Order: sequence, then C-alpha cells, then structure tokens
Amino acid sequence: MAKKLKEVLDDAGISMDLQYGGESPEGLTEREIKKSPHPRVQKLKDIFMDTLSSANNEFPYWYTREYMMHDNEIPVVRRAKALRTAFSHLTPVIFPGELLVMRKASFFRGSFPMPWLSEGFYMAHEDDFYQEALKRGSASVDEHSKFGQGGGNVTKSFGKVISIAGKFGMRQEEVPALLKLAKMWAGKSVDDLGNKYEKMVPEYPVKEQIMRSIVCMFDSGFTLPQGREVINYYYPLEYGFDGIIKMATELKAEVAGKADGDGMVGMNRLYNYEAVIIALQGVQNWIANYSKEARRLEKLTTDKIQKKEYKEIADRLDWIEHNPPRTFIEALQMIETIHLAVLNEDAISGMSPGRIGQILYPYFEQDIEAGRITEDEVIELLELDRLVKTSIDCFASTGVVGGVLSGNTFNTVSIGGVDRFGQSAVNRLEYLILEAAVRNAMPQSTIALLYDEKIPEDFLMLAMDVIKSGAGYPAFMNSPIAQEFLMKQYGPEGMNLEDARAWAIGGCLETSPCAWKPLHLNGKEYFIPGGAGQPTSVGVHFISMPKVLELTLFNGVDPRTNEKVYEPHNRKLNSYDEVWDQFTKYWQKSVEVLAWTNNIQHDIWRKNNMAVINSLLKPDCLDNGHLINELGYRYNGTFNIESAGTITLVNSLAALKKLVFDDKVVTLAKLKEAIKDNFGFKDAREVNSFSLADQEKRDDSAGKWEELHFKTLQAPKYGNDDKYADEILLQWENFFCEDSSKYESLYGLKMYPCQISVSTHGAMGSATLATPDGRLSGTTFADASMSAYPGTDRNGPYALLNSATIWDHSKSQNSQLNIKIHPTAVRGIEGSRKLLDLTRAYMRKGGFHVQYNIVDSKVLKDAQLNPKNYRDLMVRVAGFTQYWVEIGKSVQDELISRTEYEGV
Amino acid sequence: MKNLIYKDTRNYSPIDVTKGVDLLTGKIVMADNTAPENYELRPKCKFCQNYKEENEFNGECEASMSDPKFFAYGDMDSVTCGMYKQIN
Ligand code: SF4
Repeated sequence: MAKKLKEVLDDAGISMDLQYGGESPEGLTEREIKKSPHPRVQKLKDIFMDTLSSANNEFPYWYTREYMMHDNEIPVVRRAKALRTAFSHLTPVIFPGELLVMRKASFFRGSFPMPWLSEGFYMAHEDDFYQEALKRGSASVDEHSKFGQGGGNVTKSFGKVISIAGKFGMRQEEVPALLKLAKMWAGKSVDDLGNKYEKMVPEYPVKEQIMRSIVCMFDSGFTLPQGREVINYYYPLEYGFDGIIKMATELKAEVAGKADGDGMVGMNRLYNYEAVIIALQGVQNWIANYSKEARRLEKLTTDKIQKKEYKEIADRLDWIEHNPPRTFIEALQMIETIHLAVLNEDAISGMSPGRIGQILYPYFEQDIEAGRITEDEVIELLELDRLVKTSIDCFASTGVVGGVLSGNTFNTVSIGGVDRFGQSAVNRLEYLILEAAVRNAMPQSTIALLYDEKIPEDFLMLAMDVIKSGAGYPAFMNSPIAQEFLMKQYGPEGMNLEDARAWAIGGCLETSPCAWKPLHLNGKEYFIPGGAGQPTSVGVHFISMPKVLELTLFNGVDPRTNEKVYEPHNRKLNSYDEVWDQFTKYWQKSVEVLAWTNNIQHDIWRKNNMAVINSLLKPDCLDNGHLINELGYRYNGTFNIESAGTITLVNSLAALKKLVFDDKVVTLAKLKEAIKDNFGFKDAREVNSFSLADQEKRDDSAGKWEELHFKTLQAPKYGNDDKYADEILLQWENFFCEDSSKYESLYGLKMYPCQISVSTHGAMGSATLATPDGRLSGTTFADASMSAYPGTDRNGPYALLNSATIWDHSKSQNSQLNIKIHPTAVRGIEGSRKLLDLTRAYMRKGGFHVQYNIVDSKVLKDAQLNPKNYRDLMVRVAGFTQYWVEIGKSVQDELISRTEYEGV
Repeated sequence: MKNLIYKDTRNYSPIDVTKGVDLLTGKIVMADNTAPENYELRPKCKFCQNYKEENEFNGECEASMSDPKFFAYGDMDSVTCGMYKQIN
C-alpha cells in the first residue's frame, strides 16, 4: 500500500495538522443555528432539491429565426428584434404554490444555449466545427474541470436525456435542432469572429499556448461577456415599462438626424432608442404570456385558495407589464422579472441585485404602515425570492461553469453600507433579508455585508447567527476600503464620494460602481442605490501565478506537455531578484497578449451582441442615448486583470529564496529535478485526491527527494505573521496593483487588479506540477487570494490577519480571505461575539473581505463518502456558497483540507 | 387524441427534462408516462398544420417568412406561436 504524505511526515516526526487551536470533538458536530422556511416555500424547495438542470432551444430557436431575417438591418436594431421575438415565444411555466413567477426557460430550473456567442462545443464530436474548437487552446480547460456528480447536475446522458456541457440535460428530441442552430452561427458567433480577428495580433500564438497550458483559464469575450456587476432596477420602478417606452419614443424624435456635435456616434442614438423600445416590447409580451397562463390555471384549478392566488398573480403581472409597481409584492415581482430578462439577454454570471433591502424599502415601509402586508409575509416572499434565484442556471461551457464557477451564478445581495450622507444605511427590511436567509438557506442569493463602523451592533450580531447556520453568508466587505478603490479607479470618469457610497458587490466579491436615483412613491422621495457600471467579468481572466513561475523556472517551456509557451529567457536565474524579474516579465507578456486578444473579442461582442436591456437600465444610457458599446454607462473602466494562486506563488517564492539563495541547501537545478519528479509522489489524478495530505508516494521513489521535500514544506509560509513570506506578498501586491493600470481596455480606459480565484485554484492546480513550496503535482492551489495554504497557518487567526494586511487593500478591486472554523469554537453568544471581534479586527486593519465556513471537517468527509445523505449541505467555496454535492472533487478535497480553527 | 404522454399535454408543467407537475392532480409525474385520456393536447410544432416533417425530430415551418423556409423541430412548444394551427 502506497504511503500517503501525511503518513510519511508522521514517520519523520513532522506535523501536518489541519486543525489549529486544539482537537475537535469526536463524532460529527452539527451547525448551531437551524431554521425552516414557510411550508409553501418548503414544498417548492423540495421540488427544487430533486430538479435537474435542464435546457431547451426555444429562446435560441426564435432568436435565430428572427435574426437571420434581417441581414441588412442596423446591428443594434437587428439584435433587439431577435430579442423581442425570443422573449415573446418563451413558454410560461407556473407551479402551484408560487407567488413570484417567471423563469429563465420553461422549466423549474431551466436555461438555454446562446450559439451566437459560441457554437463550437454544442456540436457533436465528429463535427468539423467542434474539432476546430478543440484545436483552439481555450478548449483544453474542459479536461481539467469537473462538476460535482450530485444535485441537479446532469453529468452523464441517460434515457432520453443528453448531457450537454457536462451539466445540463436536454431532451434527445431537441439535440438535432441544437446542432442545426449551432451550425447557423458557425463563422458568425462572437467566438468565431473574435478568433478570426484575434489571430491578427502578432503574438496570438503565445495566447494559444497560454490557454493550452492553462496559464489562463478563459476568454471572457464570448464565454460570459457580461456579469459580476450590479443591475439597476430604478427606471422600471420609477416609470414602468410604458413610461420608459414613452420616454424613448420622445427622445427618438428629439435626436433623429442630429449628431449634436458627436460625429462618431451621435447619430446612433436614434437606432439605440428604437432598439430599447423593441426589446422592451419583447419583455412586455413575455409578461403578458405569463399572465395568460396564470388566468388559464385559475380556470383549471378547483382549489379555492390556489385559484385566488393565480388570479392575483395575473393581476400583478397585468399591472407591471405597463406600470410602475405600487406595493412590495408588485415591486418584488417586477425586479424578479427584470433580473431574469437581463439574464436571458446574454450569457451572464454574477448579475447581482445589489442593495435590494434599500431598493425595496419604500414599498416595504408604506405597505407595513398601511397594514397591507405583515413582516411574516415579507419574510415568506424573501424566502421565495431565494428559491427563484437559486433556480437560475448559467449556460456556458464545462470549463467556465464547472472549473471557474462551480455552477454558481453569483446573484449577490448586498446589505449595510452607508447612505448618501455617510450614515448607516441598514433598515428594517435588511434584518428580514437576513432572517429569510437563515430560514431558507440556499446558495442564492448569497449575501455581502458592506461593513462600516456605523452599522448597528445588533445587526452585526444577527449576521453572526446567519454565518453560524453554516450558510457561508454574509461575507464581510470593507465599505471604506471599497470607496477608496472606487474613487481611484473611477475618479477620472467623474466618481464623487456620494456615488462611491452607493457601491455594492457585483458577482462574488467585486467592488462595483453604483449611483443613487430618486424614487417617488405616493408623493414621498427616496434615494435608492443601483448599478451604474459595466460588467467586471471582463478583461484578462485568471492567470495562474504558480504556472507562470513554473514557466520561469523551466525557461518558457511547459514541462507537463513539453510545449513552448513563452520565448526562452535563457537566463541563469542566479539570484532571487533574477527569478522575480523574469517572473514579472512573463506575467506582463501574458497580460499584454491576453488584453489585446480579449479586447478584440469584446469589440466583436459590442458590435453585434451588445446589451440592450441591461443597458437601458443603467444610468445614464436612457439620458444620453448611448448603450454599453458606446460608453453610455456612467462608469466604464471596469476591465480588469485577475490573478489565481497568489499564496501558492508567495510560498513558492519564499521557499526558493530561503532554500536556494539564502541558505543554499539545494541548487535550483536540483530543485527543478525534484519538481519534475513530483518529489517522488504520484500525480493527484492518479490518486484521485487533490489535497496535499492524501498524495501517495511512488513505489520507485526510494526516498530520493524526502529530505528536500520536508525542507520545502518547512520553509517560511504566508499566514503566520512572518515577514519573510509576508514581504514577498507585499512585493507582489505592489507590483501587480501598479502594473495592472498599464493595460488598456477596448474602451480606452485603464485596467485594475482583481483578486478572486473562484474555483480556478482546483482546475489550475490540476495543470501545474509540484511547486517549490512542497505542494505536489495536480493538487489545488491555496484558495482565494488571502487564505493560507491548508495546514500552514500555525500561529492562529490573528497572525493570519496580520499577514493578509501587510499591503494596502484599497489598491485592488478586492482581495479574498476564507477561514474555516469548527462550530464548537463559536458556539453561543460568546462565540458570536468572538467571531465579530475577529471580523472587526480584520476590517480595522484594512482587510477588504473575510468569510467563514462554520463546519466540522468530519462532516465534509462523511458527505464526500455519502453524498446522498447531504443533498442540502452548503459550503462556502470562494466568494460564494454552493451545495456540496454540486461542486467538483478537487474543490471538495481542498475544502476538507483547509485549516480548521478549533478556537478563535 | 388519445394516449398522449404527459409532456405533450397542457395539464402538465415541466419541472425538468424528466418530470413535471400534473396540474389537475398536483402530483409529480414522469414526462414520458401516458397521461389520462381526457388531458388536453399541448400545442407543439409536431401537432401543427404548418409543420412539414423532414426526419424524426426536425422539419420545416411552412408559415415562416424566410426563403427558404426556416426549419422547425417537432417537439417545440407552440403555446406562444401565433401561427399555430392544430392538425385535425
Ligand atoms: S407555425 Fe408555429 S407551431 Fe406551426 S410549425 Fe411553425 S413554428 Fe411550429
């Protein structure tokens, strides 16, 4: 029997303890706080728990049919017409017991492909186009991405159901139609057109190699062109759809034939307003179809209560099809509808509702005052909202949805923060949002608490209870730090302090620019916050820092494939400074070529596939007549550069510096030999475990690398308040934050750093050899950007916080710290208080983000062995909460192995 | 029309690709199981006079305005298609 690393270390008397601060109690420890949703919600939730992610062709069929009829139409109008036809033909589905209706597609949990973005991977394997897609580097990521095998994922075909992209089930009867549609878009999709033109970038071959070697995880231009932003519900809430159409019609007449001093795009305002009107007509038809369906069901059912509810649903839909909402439930239905409309317009992950507690507050306040609704009824509706949001799937390739997102859609709700005048923005409705989030604990909407010193103590303590329910939310985000970042990045576009205060999280933890707008309800004015910026899911996404270091050490060649990725540097790497210098040069080469090629993809997207519905919602498109593609949004400098594997890189550089250059206990040549030989261990995929401790020694290794491996594992590690490693983090952050602003997006604006890794630490780790810090080949990187590598933070949580705050977090859009704590460590009010103290300490030190998994690692191990018993177990992965059974094995292994704090 | 399967009836709301709710009984039923006799036909291209079948799953929509006629697939819901004409 091959020995596991943990056993090898035990034999040598070296501890590899994944617990800190004592021993966890024996047996499986349950989470402390547990509540149940309202019976109506529970019934629908039971259905959800047994529902498969399903896809059909209705939307793409009608979109394509209409689009192909308008060859010579102005692109924005052509797109709007296709959208109108597609929305008008979506079959409505309503389920008994629902109060909030409308779904993405005609299933409880449905979605559909968008071949106009990328058609290649829908095709059968033998198809020429698919083969062509495979030849492209970006396809190789799918090999390293695996969905969880349980929950709603359709990972394998069965019966009459075909598994598409490793997650979605499609009826066999529909697959030939999908292939037919896909072929119609061959050569025309954003993917194909983008690829045609990105090849004209002289460095394109480098990009292809970068993608093939998984130095970079995905192309953002055609996979998820929008998202990780905050939506804005203001205009429909204030004016209603008829009001917006009236406004656009009047403005159309005002601008027709006039350039108004803008010879480039001034004339386009006419077509843009026309497109707005057409697209909204589609949304109105979609609502009307749902209303008709509700009235049909009203007639069909014999149950009196259900009959009444169907009637009320139809009445509400009839009203919001044309008018601004009058009540809380109408407003909630309206924002639900708008949200789904935007998600159906494009492949989007991370369309976050933003601060809905503050957006819906006017309706809540007036309904409560008038006795039209009770708080309990509001909680029930908020529980239903969570069900609707969790049922949303995002249809994209396996590599993107599985490897990057773990199937998550990041419909993050933000709570807290400050108002326009800098005072706490917390209101009563936000307490109820937290309450609903415990009662109906589901992955969506995950919650971000925008921390400010002025937030009331009882609200923060309630948040601690929610965290202790094990839901993983709310995560804490530092509001003043975010505002500092926003002022720096968007100051040149006119951001002032008031707008900075309106910010919210878009996606999992992306600081997103927002703005205030005056909402009027029954003669009272309220200023509500909403998104005012472009997507932040765009730019250069997920560069694997450990892989760039590997390529630095191996002279530009990927030792896994023996393919040349970068031009050889031919340097001797005789000092730490030389290694660092070469690492930054390869990093910059990667960013440069990825920025150029992604700019081309996004440019194709904006020419043919621009957002119409999302644009009309965002300030100031309706006012200025320009949509996203013509810089109509108030804030447009949202393109960014995303890193992955920060701490694995920091630990690796620390080990190199210490062992090779300072202490000279090993030569670089010898260390490289050991890395190539994986320190005498098998590859993680062979072992089928992706955590370090479980790796197995090869029989033929004969202890050749044992001593060196121990030394690498014992070299200084980040997370211990040890300057040796932490200063390398500082060096990286100072470089990265300044370097990112040297690259320009297609909108002519500078980029910035983004430090979330979502689930890429699993897939990217899978394609990376052993690293100088002792991590073995194929295992995951450290998660997030500020989390310690599992088992290496030996000085307690406060030491970890010190390490994480060695640099200025306001220089980056975000940073991310995940901490795992055993439930017994934070039990009772005393435990909540300790957790809040820890959180507050981090915020006061200038940390941007922290989130907690309050879970017993033994429960996770049991869940991995017996997934059927844990259908509803949720865990915090990286900026989002997901069902355990719906995440891939590598990330499960990494979650199990994260250091578990037994005391804080 | 006799012996319709659930997914071809209007008394069925699809939960996913395998099952749905029987709207008359409130029970969860399998999509491919036979529905009771009196259940109403669900408008689909395959039940439309404008549908010209070409192979097992796909055909042409004769009502389409494009030249050549745009394709259609038999299993597509047509609840919202204004040109749907039910076959006799
Ligand atoms: S008219 Fe409508 S229902 Fe009939 S075949 Fe054409 S698309 Fe299908």
